[in-house]
Amino acid sequence: MTRVQHPRRVAVTGMGLVSPLGDSAQAAFDAAAAGRSGVGPLSAAFAHRLVSPIAATAAFDPSAHFESRQFRMLDRVSQFALVAAKQAVDDSRRAPAAHLRAYLPERCGVFVGTGMGGTHTIDDGYQTLYGDESDRIKPFTVLMGMYNAPAAWIGIEHGLLGPNLTYTTACSSSAVAIGEAWLRVASGHLDMAVAGGAEAPLSFGSMKAWEALHTLAPVDAARPSASCKPFSKNRCGMVLGEGAAMLVLETWDAALARGAVIVGEVLGYGLSNDAEHITRPSIHGQARAMRNALLSANLNPEDIDAINAHGTGTLANDVTETAAIKDVFGAHAHRLPISATKALHGHMLGATGALECVLSLMSMQHGVALPTMHLDVADPDCDLDYVPQQARRGVEVRTMLSNSFAFGGTNAVLALRGATG
Amino acid sequence: MISTFERLRCILVKDYQLAPEAVTMQANLESLGIDSLGVAELLFSIEDEFRVTLPPEPAELNSVGDVVNYIDALVAGRKPAALRPFPTGEMNSAAHVISNATPNINTSNTTTEPRFLVR
Repeated sequence: MTRVQHPRRVAVTGMGLVSPLGDSAQAAFDAAAAGRSGVGPLSAAFAHRLVSPIAATAAFDPSAHFESRQFRMLDRVSQFALVAAKQAVDDSRRAPAAHLRAYLPERCGVFVGTGMGGTHTIDDGYQTLYGDESDRIKPFTVLMGMYNAPAAWIGIEHGLLGPNLTYTTACSSSAVAIGEAWLRVASGHLDMAVAGGAEAPLSFGSMKAWEALHTLAPVDAARPSASCKPFSKNRCGMVLGEGAAMLVLETWDAALARGAVIVGEVLGYGLSNDAEHITRPSIHGQARAMRNALLSANLNPEDIDAINAHGTGTLANDVTETAAIKDVFGAHAHRLPISATKALHGHMLGATGALECVLSLMSMQHGVALPTMHLDVADPDCDLDYVPQQARRGVEVRTMLSNSFAFGGTNAVLALRGATG
Repeated sequence: MISTFERLRCILVKDYQLAPEAVTMQANLESLGIDSLGVAELLFSIEDEFRVTLPPEPAELNSVGDVVNYIDALVAGRKPAALRPFPTGEMNSAAHVISNATPNINTSNTTTEPRFLVR
């Protein structure tokens, strides 16, 4: 890949969250910095039929956001997406004169990643058909279950007439969505985009499917909230999480001109495909994505101050990612604080890259390297600086990579800079 | 015995947050805020409430009165007058209702003010 000059800088001017760590960027960052886990016992009626009845659930009350009539048309994943997008748009209007309406709606797009779409709706439909042996599928099943529903609703809600796109590349979906939005704004095709991801995978069918793949961590009996242990020798899998994270992206110059509060900058985005194995991660694939992100952002490896790792807590990912980081950064790899925040917010699949992007931007804003919690036992094959157990404050973190790797092999890496960088 | 109209009005008031006095036999469904999707949902509720099965043919239901007559015919085992001939290519009533919906021309698209859904 050759270096590409992008004519326009892209600012992040708004962030919105629904997450297991809290319902705002600040709340989630504070929880992550304090090492407070969003993972806990699952209270769903089907929990007794799960081998690992734990998850990172979002404290979310739909009735606080939706009238019952509208609620009946929205799968949980779309509810999350709409609330996070509204929060991001509101956040982008903090300055007194900051109105997004200066933009032509035709030049404003929506880019959403989701790995599993409306799983609750699909589950309900199957329950009706096969469990209840009834033919009475709910009339909105198609509209609620379709993967592009979250993006479509955001477009309707905010009157955004430009491209309305949904990306589904499993666990890298929302990093891809943010990257693709960045490309269009940087290249001048769009002036503004709402970009991020949403996922609501804690339905019975979805959780059993993940369980069947033997990728979920068994419950840590002593500390259920510590069941996901990225980069630790005793790691044994991931914990599923739910939520949404959305950003408002706009051109740097226009954001400055309208007096917006700039929370960070997307510098570039790297993609690669493993093309090797449907689940097994590839050192080469992950390394190529990181290199492509550096090239796209015109950065050298030494320019990177920290990494938000994909860090799922599976045996295969964490050792592979460690090797890939060493491959890209050489000696500099050992100087990089590497944070695996999934220990706390779980693996939010198609939403996780966007949440980790938000946490990275907040890290740079506050000069904090977030901790990799539950890293109890050092692994000789994972020998980098993962900021174990405790946040590191007062560190200069100007430029970061946020890694997202996926089943299917689509690796996506975002290059980010803090507001003061 | 409670009339079909009263039972239907209960559904409309509860599910669509309508004022009871707004629901009259003459009231137009669109003007009550019940669009094509709302009708699809309403028909589903009607099947439950009145224990009827909808015929596959598309139905022309514009007013509350149309719906009342439609229900009464189904309950009595008659062919509802609102039924239209089954045109080629039409698969079911819901598809018809949706495909014939009046396009919602919303001129407020140029604003970024949230229009509905999120409070």
